[in-house]
Amino acid sequence: MFRFALKNILFYRGRSITTFALTFISTILFIVYVSMMDGSHKSMLENALKVYTGAIEIYHKDYRDIGGNEYLIEDVKAITNKLSTIKGIQAYTTRYETYGLLSSKEHSAASMLAGIEPEKEKDLSSIARALREGEFLDEDSGNCLYMGKGLVEKLKLKLGAEVSFIGSASDDSFAAEIFKLCGVFKTGSSEFDSSVSFVNRTYFDKVMYTDNKASYINIKLDDLDNVDQVNEKIINILNDESLESLTWKTLMKTMVEAMEVDSIFGYISLALFLVVIFFVIMIYGFINVSSRIKEFGVLRCIGLCRADVFSLLFYEIVILSSLAVALATPIAAYICYYYSINPIVIEGMSEMYKDYGIVSDEIPFDFNLLTISWNLGVIYLLNILSVIYPYFYINSFRPIEATRHV
Amino acid sequence: MYRIFILILTLTTVLTADEARLIIQKVDNNIRGKNIYMKISMKIVSLRHTRSMQMENWSQGSKKSFVKIVYPPKDRGITFLSLDNQMWQYVPKIERTIKIPPSMMLQNWMGSNITNDDMVKQSSIVEDYTPRIVKREGKLVTMELIPKEEAAVVWAKVVSLIDISTYTSQKDIFYDEEGEAVRVFLYDKVKKFGEYYLPTYWRVEPMDKDNSFTEIILEDVKYDISISDQYFRKSALKRFSR
Repeated sequence: MFRFALKNILFYRGRSITTFALTFISTILFIVYVSMMDGSHKSMLENALKVYTGAIEIYHKDYRDIGGNEYLIEDVKAITNKLSTIKGIQAYTTRYETYGLLSSKEHSAASMLAGIEPEKEKDLSSIARALREGEFLDEDSGNCLYMGKGLVEKLKLKLGAEVSFIGSASDDSFAAEIFKLCGVFKTGSSEFDSSVSFVNRTYFDKVMYTDNKASYINIKLDDLDNVDQVNEKIINILNDESLESLTWKTLMKTMVEAMEVDSIFGYISLALFLVVIFFVIMIYGFINVSSRIKEFGVLRCIGLCRADVFSLLFYEIVILSSLAVALATPIAAYICYYYSINPIVIEGMSEMYKDYGIVSDEIPFDFNLLTISWNLGVIYLLNILSVIYPYFYINSFRPIEATRHV
Repeated sequence: MYRIFILILTLTTVLTADEARLIIQKVDNNIRGKNIYMKISMKIVSLRHTRSMQMENWSQGSKKSFVKIVYPPKDRGITFLSLDNQMWQYVPKIERTIKIPPSMMLQNWMGSNITNDDMVKQSSIVEDYTPRIVKREGKLVTMELIPKEEAAVVWAKVVSLIDISTYTSQKDIFYDEEGEAVRVFLYDKVKKFGEYYLPTYWRVEPMDKDNSFTEIILEDVKYDISISDQYFRKSALKRFSR
């Protein structure tokens, strides 16, 4: 039956070439499109994580829901010592965040002031790269303040200007300090830029009594794909019920949901395209079968059963699909691989993002053999499904009736 | 007959509304007097810390208020001034007078469970709320206070349990816009100061934090005394800080 199928493929060249071409094109488009969609989501996520949020963050329970000094992490050094033993963690830093009033001589604004470890922060976030004026913080920057551009404009400040801060220290006592504006950043997120300032932790700890305490610990991973496994290790090693270790999937829930919605719409448009391809292949198959009713009638009369007819059609589509997929897959995989290494750059966006200094302008593809495999599976399945209707159509004729069909 | 019924109903509604307003005015008058001086002790208890503070407060009506921290030594000399819906703070450590923006009036004051607004008594229960009697039980009247449309207050509702024998509140529950109770003020140890009654023990409990409360004890209260106008000038912040 296999040889018979081969002969048919060669004999009905028009139908074979059309089926081959459609399968070939849809395989390439499907693999490349999914790779681009997954790659852009991954890139979006990595960019977002670069700004300030970590791949994993450790909090005292209730800090995120209730907040306040009651829920600071105590004895941070003991925790970070444990973190250093975990494989898969590339870097970590501790942050202390508080809210208070920042005032220039004339203006005041409620703001988040975060005590950070400047050297570690360079590795973990893009706030240092978002510098627009002045300089980023370092270990000796003392009372230097690194402030978002929106907040600088709100307070009408210039570099070197004094800024007073009042708020609550970690023991709930009153805290006040005079800072000096040393650097201005712009991340591109207007909300972030108009409400956040940073100061060196070593200095801030003395003002806020936060030595060996932190609002949370921010963690960067070697490979973002291993986030769940590493998080599991962290939870096991910390073994402290008062702490919670959360991955970016929880920390950036809104973004994850937006990406899921985007994926759904992406797959819907792709499904529509595949449905069209499926029907075109099926119609061509149907036309081909319709023109061979007499031939199938004769075959049935000389002893072929219904299962043999199905096998014939099945072998025909499998041979054509396999040839198309075998040719399309290396091409599609190469495209995915090439653009995963050399991402597409959108020039217009590039200028805008360079201005912000943070978000990458590249759209890398995702080269993943598992994804390519399931893509191929879908193409095969659709092609096989396309012979079902022609098979039932041909079997709706009785063999004698089919031999007389004109 | 129908008209008489409507007339009685209207008169009852008007009289009840007038009575509610009268009760609230008397409660407010007890809190403020013509002017008032208070020496206050405050104990702030949270999950991990307990702090004590002492302060003095000079107020004139609902528009002028001056507060000076006298204890602990670290915070001594911090002063607050509220004038016509604006608030300033002087911090001796940084020698700065800072204007508190209206957006921060509901932030916690000095780490306690009371807000900047509570501290300077900026919003007035008489001017900003429409009162309604909900329940009567002997000398206790439960009142519901709904903010007036134009009032710049954040509470969606305040329910107050008032003792009409002294016109002092025993309990105030503050609700947010979702109808959730956010915090409770409990009052006790009512004392008579001349013609005024005032609870001298206040306890503030936030509903979202267990084991967290603020106790306020009015150690000394003087009504209708002569308070110099100099307390209610911006220059007072630095001058009376010492």
